[in-house]
This record gives sequence, structure tokens and C-alpha cells, in this order.
Amino acid sequence: MVRGGEINIGTCLLINGNPHIVVEREFVSPGKGSAFARVKAKNLKNGNVITQTIKTADYVEDAQVELVDCQYQYSDGENFMFMNNETYEQFGVPISVHEDKTPYLKDGETYTLVMWENEPIDIKIPYKMIFTVVESENYVRGDTVSGATKPVTTETGLVVRVPLFIKQGEKILINTETNDYVERVND
Amino acid sequence: MAMTIEIMKERSRIVTRTREFFLARDYLETDTPALAPSLIPESSLEVFETKFVHPYQKGFPLYLIPSPEVWMKRVIAETGQNVFQLCKAFRNAESIGRIHNPEFTMLEYYTVGANSRDNIELTEELFSALSGEETPQQARPPFARMTMAEAFREFAGLDLDALHEIPAMRDALASKALLAPAEAPWEDLFNILFLSCVEPELPADRPLVLDEYPKEIVCLARDIPGRPCKERWELYVSGMEIANCFAEMATQDAVATYFVSQEEKKRGALVPHNVDHSYPEIFAAFPACSGVAIGFDRLCMALLGCKSIDEVLYFPFTAFVGADTRL
Repeated sequence: MVRGGEINIGTCLLINGNPHIVVEREFVSPGKGSAFARVKAKNLKNGNVITQTIKTADYVEDAQVELVDCQYQYSDGENFMFMNNETYEQFGVPISVHEDKTPYLKDGETYTLVMWENEPIDIKIPYKMIFTVVESENYVRGDTVSGATKPVTTETGLVVRVPLFIKQGEKILINTETNDYVERVND
Repeated sequence: MAMTIEIMKERSRIVTRTREFFLARDYLETDTPALAPSLIPESSLEVFETKFVHPYQKGFPLYLIPSPEVWMKRVIAETGQNVFQLCKAFRNAESIGRIHNPEFTMLEYYTVGANSRDNIELTEELFSALSGEETPQQARPPFARMTMAEAFREFAGLDLDALHEIPAMRDALASKALLAPAEAPWEDLFNILFLSCVEPELPADRPLVLDEYPKEIVCLARDIPGRPCKERWELYVSGMEIANCFAEMATQDAVATYFVSQEEKKRGALVPHNVDHSYPEIFAAFPACSGVAIGFDRLCMALLGCKSIDEVLYFPFTAFVGADTRL
């Protein structure tokens, strides 16, 4: 069980028997009322986002989850296919529920999967990740405005803005929460 | 984003115009203590405690006021005057974030002989006087008006008048697939429904007065005779709760009963405080009056089109404790 006041973004709640991950949370105190946590939580079975309001002092059921390192292998169009790094067991995570993760999944990369009752319910994306630039507009020589940026596309289809000196084929470090460029990575 | 010098000047202009507005209407400006040896019990608030110390004598606890209303009502009881005040107020255990700072500025004004409807008009006039070129349409009067029952009908499709019993309220929550904790009092169930289904849908194209709060939410507003409501409204601007208005509960017995109910609820407070038990006595002879309390920092945000309270405070609390501690 978890108290309303302890809920954070990423907390896994069990609502009507289904695991939900909290994607937004704000504390609200209606005039002359107690404090409540108003949360938006995504049903990890069907992707539906619901609103729940929980008094900060009240308990709600949280989902007992397990974290497992898995390698991302490929997408079969319906599922992201992963392999458990320890047991080599292969399984799919439905794309329809986790479509927003698509631009952060790199073939062969290891991710932490959130397992609930032996089923994968969420994919944790590292805070910072290295990507390769596969598409980049040509740098126009002479454009010396300081801080100028241009959009580039990574091998996963992610479009980010980077400084003009970044060239196609180079590797860049990206903050995956904001999609901001952090730095160029040299091999 | 930090407060700019331009916003600092604008805020100063709003303060000056606020004073001019009330002084021109012959309201008495009060300047009451921020430190009090006792407070009235309000179960929805946690306070900050400090203490008076003396090197050789016994000290005593003091509390930073969560609102100046108690002092101001004493002035009204003793003088019968309309009063206003701009001052610091302090609330503990609330969020630190986009619209919250533990220390904030409160604007309160009380009008003798007025009801809460009169105060809507006065507040609209205040907004007109304070609006500038930069004030967005969403913060400009006239205010839209809606009763709580109308808001429930419109945004939740529910008849609030049919929900005054706990089982009916639980059914309503179930119909919206909302979690309803066992044993929850009616007020909590109401708030869950309101905060989940109604408040996020409130129109924000101009300020909205949400009127006639249910009588089950205990507060110092008087009952509307023959109706299950209190003479109380809250003002929302851009979806943000910015002000509340009570036509004051002004009988000694009613205030004393309120004290008992709140002291009961305050047993689990994180910061217990001394209670001023003499306070209900001022209502032995208290004029009919209606008062408004406005979160002045939020008012500045609304009038200046700012998105965060940090934009209207030069030293916001997040600057002391780091943005990561936003709650």
C-alpha cells in the first residue's frame, strides 16, 4: 500500500485489479478541504489514461513490481520483442500501449523492464542515451549565429535539435526526458 | 523563470492600485500581527510554529498566521468598519510549486452589511482597477458565475442535490470509476468527485465565480436559509483557485460549534497549536458582513499573464531549497 501523499510520477498503482503507472501528479488542496493527490495514471494493459484523486493521508494499493534487465531485439509490428538477459526467455511488449517508447528503443540495447505477475508492463528508458545521427541537413557555412541549432534524425527516428557542427554519422548524447541535446560523443 | 525587473514594477503598481482602490471606498487599512500566541482551529491547515525566548524568564510558543482574518474580524467587531489588509501569511505542509509558496501575500477585505453577491461586484471592480494592457482576457471581468450544482450538472452530468447522502455519493463515484476509500466522510467523497470530474473542466476563458458550496463542507460561512448550501464562493482564474468569499457566520454559538468540530479533526495535526477560545465571544455583537481573501501572488500571476508563482516572487521558496524539491 502507498499513501496518496507518497505517490510520484512512475509509481505503479493497482486500480480495479489492473496495474497503472502514474504519468502526472499534482497536490491540490480545495478551499477548506484536505490535501489530495490528483493523478493521471496509464493502464498498462490497454494504455488508457485515467484520472484519480486520492487524499494524501489515505492508502491505495500499489502494484508489486519487479525490475528485470532485458535486451531489445526487434519490433514485429505488434510487439516490441525483448530477451531476458539472465534466462534468455523471449517475450513481447504490446506496441499499442507503449508507442511513445518507439524512438528510444535501439536494437541490442539493454533496458529495465517493469514486470508485474511475470508480465512486462513498462519499459524504463535511461535518462540519457547515445544515438547516431542518420539524417542531417547540410551545415550552411557562414551561419555563425551563436547557439544556432538544426534538426537531425537518429537511427530510431527521433528528431532532435543539435548544434550546427554535428554531422551525419556522428554520435550524440540526448536527455530522453526533454529530448534535449547534451553533447557529442566521440568513439 | 525568475522575476524580471518589469514584473517587479508591475507588482508594485498592483499593490499601489489595490490600496488606492480600497482607500477611495473608505475601507480602513489594518496592519495586524504576523506572529500570534494562539490561532483558531482549522483542520485543513498546518501552521509554522516558533517561540518567544527570554534569557531568564519562561518563553512561550508563537505561530505564524495562516491568514489575518481573526485579527481583522476583531477590528470589525470593535469598530464596525469596512477593512482591508495586504500582508504575509504562512502555510505549512502544502505544495511548493507552480502556484504554491509556503510564505505568500494575502489580500483580505471585509464589507459590513454586504452579502457574498455584493462581493462579486466589488471584486469585479477591483479586477477592472488592477488590469493593465498586459492582462490577458482570461483575467478580465466581468466574471462568469456558476453554482456548484450547475457545475456538477454541466461537467459531471450529476444532480448534486441528490447526492447529500453518503451511499448516493458513493454510487456517483462508482459511476465515474473513481476510487472511494471505505469509511470516507461525505466531504472527502465530494472533493474526489469535484477534483476529478468538475474542477479540471471549469471554463477558463474568463474568471469564474463558483458559488454555493455544499453545507457539509464545514467553514465559517453562513448557511443559505432553506438550501443545502453555504453563502460561499471561490474565484477561479485560468483554472487556478485564486480567492474565496464567505458571508460570515456571525453568531457566537455557531462559531463555538465550529471550533469544537475543528479541534476534534485537528487531533492528528503535524503542528498542534494553542487555540484562542475567547474568539467566538466577538460574535456576541458582530455586524452582518462578507469578506474576500485573495492569494495576492496568484492574482499578480493572473493579471500579468505569468505561468508560475516564481515569476512574481523575486526570492521564491524554490530558490532556497532547489527546484527538485517542488512537490
